[in-house]
Amino acid sequence: MSDTQEVESGVVIGIAFGNTTSSIAYTSADGKPELIANEEGDRQIPSVLSYLDSDEFHGGEAKAQLVRNHGNTVAYFRDFLGKKFSEIDPTNAHNSAHPIDAEGKVSFSVVEKAGKPAVNITVEEITARHLRRLVSSAADFLGKPVTKAIVTVPTDFTEAQRAALTSAALDANIQILQVIQEPVAEALAYAARDNFQTADKVILVADIGGTRTDATVVAVRGGMYTILATAHDYELGGVRLDATLVDHFAKEFIKKHKSDPRENQRSLAKLKLECEVVKRTLSIATSASIGIDSLCDGYDFHSTINRFRYETIGRPLFDQIIKLAENVVSKAEIDLLDIDEVILAGGSSHTPKIAQRFESLFPNCTIHAPATETTALNPSELAARGAAIQASLVSEFDVEDIDQSTHPMVTVAPHLSKDIGVVIVAADGTETFQTLLPAQTAMPARRAAEFNAPAEGGDVVIKFVEGGSVIKKEIIPPAPKDEDDSDDEEDEPEEVKSKEMKVEKLLAEALLKGTEKGQKIEVTVQALEAGELNVTARIVGTQNGVRGQVKA
Amino acid sequence: VFSGEWSAEGNFVSHAAISAPVNRKLEPLGPHFLAHARRKRHQRTFSEDDRI
Repeated sequence: MSDTQEVESGVVIGIAFGNTTSSIAYTSADGKPELIANEEGDRQIPSVLSYLDSDEFHGGEAKAQLVRNHGNTVAYFRDFLGKKFSEIDPTNAHNSAHPIDAEGKVSFSVVEKAGKPAVNITVEEITARHLRRLVSSAADFLGKPVTKAIVTVPTDFTEAQRAALTSAALDANIQILQVIQEPVAEALAYAARDNFQTADKVILVADIGGTRTDATVVAVRGGMYTILATAHDYELGGVRLDATLVDHFAKEFIKKHKSDPRENQRSLAKLKLECEVVKRTLSIATSASIGIDSLCDGYDFHSTINRFRYETIGRPLFDQIIKLAENVVSKAEIDLLDIDEVILAGGSSHTPKIAQRFESLFPNCTIHAPATETTALNPSELAARGAAIQASLVSEFDVEDIDQSTHPMVTVAPHLSKDIGVVIVAADGTETFQTLLPAQTAMPARRAAEFNAPAEGGDVVIKFVEGGSVIKKEIIPPAPKDEDDSDDEEDEPEEVKSKEMKVEKLLAEALLKGTEKGQKIEVTVQALEAGELNVTARIVGTQNGVRGQVKA
Repeated sequence: VFSGEWSAEGNFVSHAAISAPVNRKLEPLGPHFLAHARRKRHQRTFSEDDRI
């Protein structure tokens, strides 16, 4: 039988390819996505390659060489892929091998073989080598050859960058079946945990990475995802948080020893690596210590910092992250109240303060982050998990199948611009409004809902309407102060916002005759791609019903 | 009880069409999208798809 062989060759893994770290994941036999640790035991594998004495180092081993072998160590290269030299921002590569201009293409000059002159390696080649190492770690773990992968990239990755990624992977003998968007993969990781329930909601995904932060508003309708807005900040992330700690400890060192470790390349590299460890510790513990032997001018350095102090010095950055989140919501032309869930992704999302800041910005939302939800998934793993889930879903597909399914003919769909719902008018004149198809639902789509028949029975009018939410602002004046209240805190009038549904247009009416007490009414609406609306109303368990169509 | 006279045939009246939809791009991942893609490529409706 060739069956087993087909399964063997069909191992598809998910790869989250990041500037700072990359992850690999697969879906286990019981359908759970799981991250694969590399030979060093890392699940977040630094996206770093280093060359020393004719050997290639990768991941954590390569990252450690940033101190003594920085000129031959390539880091933070993902965002250079598929770009012209003139388009890149080389700031992050300042302390490792510098990107150089090789006829407009981005390259790195490194000594690959001991004793030989430095050679130019293009960023595509670096990417291919990085992917090859990742895939071989996955193959070692799974005990099977891995030739296919689903890879996540940020939403602003251009077509040229996607093409460069796919061709780099082919050089490494890996076929990329699909390049998917990071925020949607992250949302999918949570959807899989909740068994792919189809609740309609709007999610804000904040991916707070190492060198950049991306915020995305995603509408989920019937289990399908539509990106409404994206915002990026290319200077915000863990590296900046490390830098605030570097500055903090450097000042302390200067006070003691009158020399600045930031002025010496090697001292700075040591301090950076250690500050990253301190930052990680402060996400779990409330204080952390740092100790570096011979940091600068032969002096050792030992110190501690508590979380409160760190949160104080990191505050400007936390403010920037919140600002980015607010911006992306207004870019999506919705209100903060329209967000139903917040997913914090990326390594820096482990920071408790960041999750708390999101919690106060979105008081009525679930904030999916370790600090605010005990069952939260590891934010560093989300993109890889999402990629692994998609990999398992398409692993049996042919490449043509996937190409056809991801073609714009299929992916571009008309989306409703207004909420469509029903108002049920009972005999006593009371009205119940319920949204069936919310705005941003892709057509065709169909939804059904059940209502109770009025208690006294009789005829029921069902109005099919179009509407939207309106944000109501209410100013609550400050409470009168107690007479013996001595603190001089300023009491500003508090603005309370609430959301209400407003009917804007009556689309159709249906009359359902002779309902009886205790019966249920089932209403179905189906929006067709051509803009027509098919509706039915039926008394559950009977043949008594009405059906009609609203023409486009 | 409907207050006015109800004279429309079949107990159903259509008043207005839905507001013009906006074309947007769906993200091609997740089980529900794959089901959508399958329906679209084979030009099936929901109920036809349910039967298969």
